[in-house]
Amino acid sequence: MDMTPKQGQVEVTFNWVYVLIAGAVILLFFIGLVVRQKAVSEEQLSIEVVRIMESIFTGAGVSEKTKNFIDISGLAEYTLYFGCSNEVGEYGILGTSARAENAIDPFFAPKEIKASQLIVWSLPYRLPFKVIDFLFITSSNTQYIVLGEVPFATEFVNSTQGFNVQHLVSRQEYEQIDPGHNFQVRIIDTVGTTLTAGSGVPLLLQSLGNERVTGVSFGQGAVTYYSKNNENKWEQQGAAVPMVSLDEERDAAKYAAIFVADADMYRCNLKKAFRRLELINEVYGGKENEPGGKIQQLLNYYGGHPESLCKNPLVERQDNLVTALASHQRNAAACRLDASTCTNLIASARALRTANKALAELGDCITLY
Amino acid sequence: MKKDRMETPPLRKRGQLHITETIAVLFIFFVLVFFGLLFYSKYQKISLAEKQEELLGERAMETTLKTLFLPELGCSKGEAEQEDNCIDLMKLEAAQKTFSEHINDYYFGIFSYANITVQELYPDSARSWTLYDKLKTKTLEDGTVVKDWERKEPTYFVVTLRDESQGRVQYRFGYIVVEVYS
Repeated sequence: MDMTPKQGQVEVTFNWVYVLIAGAVILLFFIGLVVRQKAVSEEQLSIEVVRIMESIFTGAGVSEKTKNFIDISGLAEYTLYFGCSNEVGEYGILGTSARAENAIDPFFAPKEIKASQLIVWSLPYRLPFKVIDFLFITSSNTQYIVLGEVPFATEFVNSTQGFNVQHLVSRQEYEQIDPGHNFQVRIIDTVGTTLTAGSGVPLLLQSLGNERVTGVSFGQGAVTYYSKNNENKWEQQGAAVPMVSLDEERDAAKYAAIFVADADMYRCNLKKAFRRLELINEVYGGKENEPGGKIQQLLNYYGGHPESLCKNPLVERQDNLVTALASHQRNAAACRLDASTCTNLIASARALRTANKALAELGDCITLY
Repeated sequence: MKKDRMETPPLRKRGQLHITETIAVLFIFFVLVFFGLLFYSKYQKISLAEKQEELLGERAMETTLKTLFLPELGCSKGEAEQEDNCIDLMKLEAAQKTFSEHINDYYFGIFSYANITVQELYPDSARSWTLYDKLKTKTLEDGTVVKDWERKEPTYFVVTLRDESQGRVQYRFGYIVVEVYS
């Protein structure tokens, strides 16, 4: 029997091989296209998310005192990150190249957020006039435990309605804090006695990762940051940071200290505010050794009206507005460079506020701010 | 005619027929691929232009929003909240100098390429102030500076202008024009 295949048989086999190879190549091409498209879509999505975040933050930053609860359940699987170094803030989606940088607006947020709801809130920072809006970013699963029975604790709890905030007053309650399903827990010691370096972290919080259990303690005009260590004790994170504020109700600097991740991020964002303060000081008072600004216009006007009583708080009396503003300008520049001089900035802000009030109390005078 | 036909070699063999057939199929395939690519690139170009338009519009709104809430311009009264949509003219005049001096090291970060002008309408419609002006330009080989933007998106917003230059508060009426470039 002749076993050699006939011409027709060879041709049919060849056609099938040809079809198989061509099919496989086309299939591989489309699989490659789909895989590539998936990667591109994910990258585009993360870029789009960051762009939307930028818009949300711009809107929230200017809508003073408005709390925005944003549903981000579609991003629940992603981790948003926030950082700040050298006066430049950064945020984005962890593990992707999508990120945004911001050297202007101070935003105070945890280092990471992984949640289905984002909470954005802003408060004006005044020193003594409005400098900038502080933007607070947090999430529904970031729990804030407020300790202490001081007026600020009550004020904070009342003004953060809708946030994940719990107010505890006794030591026993503190020892029994349960993180539940929260992503992270921040303890706020408003008195400054509970959180101390080396003291134990409440038992149920010990199951969370070290970076997920943090604390902030207020005392003597400064704020100290803590986090859980491997031995389940509180460990101080860097030196205490002085709070530069006039200690009013809804003190933006104090609230910012609560919402920000750590001392470095707090300092970094405050520096952005001090930079803006320097520029606003220029609008009000011109440059050092170069008269100008709004104050010069007031001096020009009242210079032509020698009978006006407004000249007294403006320029004549010892603690006058012109001197207070000049001092405030110097102190703002110094505080940005050296945090230890920031107490002078608080003092000059108070002096400026007093001088401006004195001008306003005369009735007919134009005030600086 | 008959002779000519006889000179042309006939496509008799099946192999030759198959090759011609394959070439024709490949040709049609590549023509379809070419048209597909052409259509796709055209579509991408249009959607990119639409996206750019959308982003520019968004930036225009954001820039206007930021301008309206600038603490450098707002009408403040001591510790009270700033008046909405109001510009303090004394501050505006002082801010012009500060903005131009710090345009590159600070305010560009807020407004990017834009032009912000405040126009008074009543009582003196001839008065206007340019607060910020940063155009996107490029320098040609011969040193000429020419514009380097394709689109401009202007936004207008009505504002009150507080004037205290005469020792008492007077309110004027005007609008703010924010033009952004891409």
